[in-house]
Amino acid sequence: MTALVLSILIFVVCLGFIFSEKLNRTIVALAGASLMVGAGKLLGFYAEQDAIVSIDWNTLGLLLGMMILVAMLEPTGFFQYTAVWASRLSRGSPVRLFVLLGSVTTILSMFLDNVTTVVLIAPVTILISEVLGMSPVPFLISEALLSNTGGVATLVGDPPNVLIGSAANLSFNDFLVHSLPVVAVAWVAALSVLLLLFRDELRKVPANQDAVSKLDPGEALNDRRSAIRILIVIGGAIVLFFLHSFLHLTPAFVALSAAATALLVIRPPLDEILQKVEWSVLIFFGGLFVIVGGLEKSGALGQLVSLLETGVNIPPVLFGILLIWVVAGLSAVVDNVPITIALIPVIEGLGNAGIDPYPLWWALAFGAGFGGNGTIIGSTANIVVAMLSEKTRNPITSAIWVKRGLPVMIVTCVVASLIFLVAYPWFTK
Amino acid sequence: MIRECMKKNVFAVPVTASVRDAVDLLVSRHIGLLPVLDPDRRPVGIVGLRDLLNLVLPSAFHLLDDVDFIGDFGALETYQPAAATLSQPISTLMRPATVVREESGLIRAYAIMLQHDLHDLVVVDENGRLSGIASRVDIGAKILASWQ
Repeated sequence: MTALVLSILIFVVCLGFIFSEKLNRTIVALAGASLMVGAGKLLGFYAEQDAIVSIDWNTLGLLLGMMILVAMLEPTGFFQYTAVWASRLSRGSPVRLFVLLGSVTTILSMFLDNVTTVVLIAPVTILISEVLGMSPVPFLISEALLSNTGGVATLVGDPPNVLIGSAANLSFNDFLVHSLPVVAVAWVAALSVLLLLFRDELRKVPANQDAVSKLDPGEALNDRRSAIRILIVIGGAIVLFFLHSFLHLTPAFVALSAAATALLVIRPPLDEILQKVEWSVLIFFGGLFVIVGGLEKSGALGQLVSLLETGVNIPPVLFGILLIWVVAGLSAVVDNVPITIALIPVIEGLGNAGIDPYPLWWALAFGAGFGGNGTIIGSTANIVVAMLSEKTRNPITSAIWVKRGLPVMIVTCVVASLIFLVAYPWFTK
Repeated sequence: MIRECMKKNVFAVPVTASVRDAVDLLVSRHIGLLPVLDPDRRPVGIVGLRDLLNLVLPSAFHLLDDVDFIGDFGALETYQPAAATLSQPISTLMRPATVVREESGLIRAYAIMLQHDLHDLVVVDENGRLSGIASRVDIGAKILASWQ
């Protein structure tokens, strides 16, 4: 009983610190993990060996591999190249520019880290909108919102998906079959809402439309040779992602092998590449795994599962829809990673208790992914775009974000809920 | 000593001047830097072409490694700061003044200019009052002249 209470206390205090942002989240996760193992050893419910087993190395390996690939692609100028190319294709029409930049950002962030994508595409976006004499705000907000939305489509598109895929043993293709169709509809709905909300800004015909035709994407590409080589490696990794469940390969193996291949082919200054890897994110994940592992070993999660089991008399479809909205609401105001890591063992427990967990996995993915759009702090991409905009003549405020982001969050969650309602059997395994 | 190569006829603006006053003086006198003075003629800041031109540079300029891929700056070529910005006091745009005394050595003055990324150095007398201004060319040519 003491173990149960103590483990819940450690978890809740850690979540409190992470949510309040009073302390760096990685420090909280590491300190919480140490406390949990200490308490576990003292009371005999959790030890170092259990903690190591509780870490999902597949998630960490996949994230590390993808981070190394992106760190190598970044200096080649490839991200800027795509933004300049899309802008030239728009021929100076604000609506076409809006759709093209949003699409490019979405496609890149379906396979690569969306924060890096947004960080590298946003400055080009700001410059091109100023060349056209327009405010960059509509373009910047929509890039973040559409990339958050698009990332939900694939196994590697955003961290909650990596976590869910690994825990539930969902393959890359499972995401393409179950998540991609929902995201495709939600993305089009999000784009339509954004076009409507920004209609006044986008109606203006720029006086300098011709300037866009003088953009030279080739000039933006600093290192064509390396860019092509890394893209071939990433393309190979994506093919292997399609096949990984048939070949019995873990996504982590695919990502780390791709990173190793790219490093062998390019041989970049390794220290510079490793400095760009977000170690704090990986340590944050590791710490959370250990904390939630303790919660599981103490029996706390089992208690929650039996509570939900007896308390949940609502139909599974409604339970799934409820999960989408609760997770989305939480993800709009706090980081979606701890929410996902904490809910994974709960859904696993419900699965063991005889409830079909598959619809719940998808509900968790949709809620965590779409919820981040609601507020300026909902996702890292939002925060980054807002910070970059502060350096411009049109800073994005929290109020501006809510006016555009919240409708997008609501519309995408409505789309997910409706598809869930209509095609529920599609989400069962 | 820097006293020997500095220009003594220096244009400056009082701290109460507006941004527009500084613009007018820089244009009419075709110069690059103005010391900003308190009522006792002590430099409290400097404002140069660079500080004013920052107002019309692309906002993402410092976030990009290069801007070569833009063949035509379009609307940015005709962008002008708002009237409200131009009527603000010059103190909103000025940088802290890095000054040297009249008796400062030339190599020292040159080193200070390099370190602070300055093209003109403000010179003050023993009371801290403005007495002259020396450019990199003034200082550099004087140093090289001693080699002849």
